[in-house]
Amino acid sequence: MAVMRTAVIALAVLWAATLLGGLLSGLDRRLTARLQARRGPPLTQPFWDVIKLLAKERVVTNPWQAFSPVATLAAAATALVLFVCQGDLLVILFVHATGGVFLVLGAMASPSPYSQTGGQRELWQMLCCETLLFLFAGALYLTTGSFRVSGVLALPEPLLDRLPLLFLAFLFALTVKMRKSPFDLAGSHHAHQELVRGVYTEYAGPHLGLLEIAHWLEVMLYLAICSLFWATNVAAMILLPLAAFGAVIVLDNVAARLTWRWMLGRGWAAVFAAAALNLFWLKG
Amino acid sequence: MPEAISVVLIIVPFLAALASLLTRSSACRSFLVITTVCGLATCSLLLQASPACGGKWAGIIAPLIAGGDFLLLAVMFFLGCRYRHPLIVMLTAGQLALFAWLEFSVFAGGSHGPALFAVDALSLTMVRVVCIVGGLICLHALPYMQAHERHLQLDRSRQPQFFAVLLLFLGAMNGLVLTNHLAHFYFFFELTTLCSFLLIGHDNTDEAVAKALTALWMNGLGGLLLLLAIWGLYSQSAMLDMTGLVATAGGHGAAMLPLVMLLLAAFTKSAQLPWQKWLLGAMVAPTPTSALLHSSTMVKAGVYLALRFAPALAGTLLAQGLVLAGGFTFVAAAALAIGQRNAKKVLAYSTISNLGLIFACAGIGTPAAVAAGMLLILFHAVSKGLLFLCVGTAEQQVHSRDIEVMRGLCAIMPVTAMISVLAALTLIVPPFGMLLGKWLVFEAGADNIVFYLMLVLGSSFTVLYWVRLAGTLLAGGETAAARAEAQPLLTRWPLAVLACGAVLLVLGAPALHGRLLAALAPLFGPMTAFPAGPPFAAGRAGVLLTAQGAFPLASLFVAAALVALLALAAARQAMAGKKGRAYLAGANTELPDHFRGPMNRPVRAVVENYYLAPLLGEKRWTRWVNLAAAGLLLFMLGGGLWP
Repeated sequence: MAVMRTAVIALAVLWAATLLGGLLSGLDRRLTARLQARRGPPLTQPFWDVIKLLAKERVVTNPWQAFSPVATLAAAATALVLFVCQGDLLVILFVHATGGVFLVLGAMASPSPYSQTGGQRELWQMLCCETLLFLFAGALYLTTGSFRVSGVLALPEPLLDRLPLLFLAFLFALTVKMRKSPFDLAGSHHAHQELVRGVYTEYAGPHLGLLEIAHWLEVMLYLAICSLFWATNVAAMILLPLAAFGAVIVLDNVAARLTWRWMLGRGWAAVFAAAALNLFWLKG
Repeated sequence: MPEAISVVLIIVPFLAALASLLTRSSACRSFLVITTVCGLATCSLLLQASPACGGKWAGIIAPLIAGGDFLLLAVMFFLGCRYRHPLIVMLTAGQLALFAWLEFSVFAGGSHGPALFAVDALSLTMVRVVCIVGGLICLHALPYMQAHERHLQLDRSRQPQFFAVLLLFLGAMNGLVLTNHLAHFYFFFELTTLCSFLLIGHDNTDEAVAKALTALWMNGLGGLLLLLAIWGLYSQSAMLDMTGLVATAGGHGAAMLPLVMLLLAAFTKSAQLPWQKWLLGAMVAPTPTSALLHSSTMVKAGVYLALRFAPALAGTLLAQGLVLAGGFTFVAAAALAIGQRNAKKVLAYSTISNLGLIFACAGIGTPAAVAAGMLLILFHAVSKGLLFLCVGTAEQQVHSRDIEVMRGLCAIMPVTAMISVLAALTLIVPPFGMLLGKWLVFEAGADNIVFYLMLVLGSSFTVLYWVRLAGTLLAGGETAAARAEAQPLLTRWPLAVLACGAVLLVLGAPALHGRLLAALAPLFGPMTAFPAGPPFAAGRAGVLLTAQGAFPLASLFVAAALVALLALAAARQAMAGKKGRAYLAGANTELPDHFRGPMNRPVRAVVENYYLAPLLGEKRWTRWVNLAAAGLLLFMLGGGLWP
């Protein structure tokens, strides 16, 4: 019985998250279009794009390009389900990172220099995101005495009060994860600053479609983690992630791409230090 | 019964080593090695935990080991003289003098007759790692060494010596983990040093001898430190019983000095910063040597010693210093691995880094942390042994250790490349064992923020360099055309068994962890009792529960298996369909990785990985990292001796 219940919850969560993630992606395109004085596509456009991709013929140069998207999507889905089950945040982050591992393996399996470079850059991006999220998990432990997501929901006060620097670091990670300027190094949504399609270069048709869905789910996981910063109030749990999402899109449209050296050497180093400081301050 | 099996586990490899020395026929040698390894593996599985035993053997074994000690030190002294290495001469002369004095005047006075063997969950795990993983490496060495000697074109085969030392090494490791007598522990500890010297220097080139001498003097220093520690411990409590010493050693101020020495000895054995040089140098040896040194023997002796004595350290400043020193090694070695384009050095730095993590476990000093350390030893041994065997085989084929030369290995050696990728994945991806162990460390060590930061950075670096290495092996043109390479049975089977172990062993992790905790909890006394009841009895089946979180092992494993099947089916379906060509800006040629260049000539598209060599290069950092590590060791020393 318990297994059935979990399975139903998991399916419901994934269905809702895919729907929401797709809509958010549509919102992103609308907002960006408006910021660039265009009308933009309808809100449901991302779904049509993905459906079209899924219906296309499978063409690969290498078996890993078919293997990886399945693994990446599964990792993103598993991480999200674990989150909704209020599991251990460390485990969620480990599972989430697995998706990135396979994405990079698939990209590196091609001799194409564009794909190779994208894969390498994705590795640096993963390094940025993972470390900052693990620091958030550490903050979770220091405040609640547990790594479980359920611990945060029982807190009387929003975490944001005590984790302002970590929230900034989280916004940095969100920008990197959403593949938005100035850190859209491994694969951008904007054609004018793109090295072909970076880490996605060699993925095509249904495989690219799966990766697109995986990306929606990953962004949903990040936004869900974002909601933990203000988990005392349902309205805040919805508004805070939306505000963060909006901020990232505005930043995307006003910033140009920076180099990966800048991202790692200045950006990440600075926010990592700030987040670490926040941890010490939390304990002290 | 346990004492009889223990004696067999130690004596049989010695006898087999002797037999191997006398055998010139390669068929006889193969038979000898195979039967010995099978016998040892069976015995290690039959062995059961028993508190203290072997009293009746003491009369025979104790004098044998004391005599062996003198012989061993004399051999090392002779080697020091022969190679004109003053440091080795001094270190072994010091040990000889100290040991003779201890043996004839100090120990002789006391009523020391500890039980010879003590077998608990820790030693059982170690014995199985040594006999099974180490044994598989010995089997793999049989065809490997034949190819190696064909390549070297020797007049007279040197395999008898090589296999004798391999088998001796297994015996020494078995003795080291099973014994309960600290002086005997010292003998086996020194024996592993001598074995590693012989194995590293086996090829007898100038480079090999130089590297072997480095290993000998560094580990000789470790031996001297261990002997000093034994002297100190004995003068405190007048016993050499390891189980007893773990319970009584320690105290305040100068009383901690023996434990500090013990840890420093363990650090040299496990090649921790700043003593990593000997392990990096050990790469000149034939592959089975590095696989054995890195996975199941030698370096694991140091961490095992630290984990064994963890209860004596618990709660001291020394332990906190150990956490920081171990954590630092974990991060620094991982960062150095990112800057490496030599595949074997990446593997070596990764070993050093993981051993640092295990030392930190000993420093955290809770039963949960020490059990996590043991799990890390087990899973690291299996995955790393596998990786070393694969990379070594690849090196034999491509004649280079450069990662960029191994680029696209899956086109020439698909089996080896795929197993390497699998082994790398089992080191970084859930639900496999290394990650489970790391998760346990995260949960056990999160109270110390500095250590937590080190853990976060080190783990992320680790993912980075493994994915990069695995991706590079896969990067290639046509893999569909590649045929599985031919391998001798004795190459394929050890690889297959280790690969299955790397994937499946994690399923036994909850049971093993429970057994380790049950064995460890009494050692730590009531101070560190668990919050409520046994930690893994509660909760649903297949979920590892700790005080801080939960790891849904069974569901993750089932999910991973399903996903792997689905993804494999997708890959097969895609490969049956239309074949595309790699994106080369539309200028593709007939060759998969060449584009049409100037004058319509095909040009190979070459992209190399980012190694950040100028930023993270070994040359630039080794000195500073060593300085920092030495500083941390001094800090640890200070913490230990603080009144």
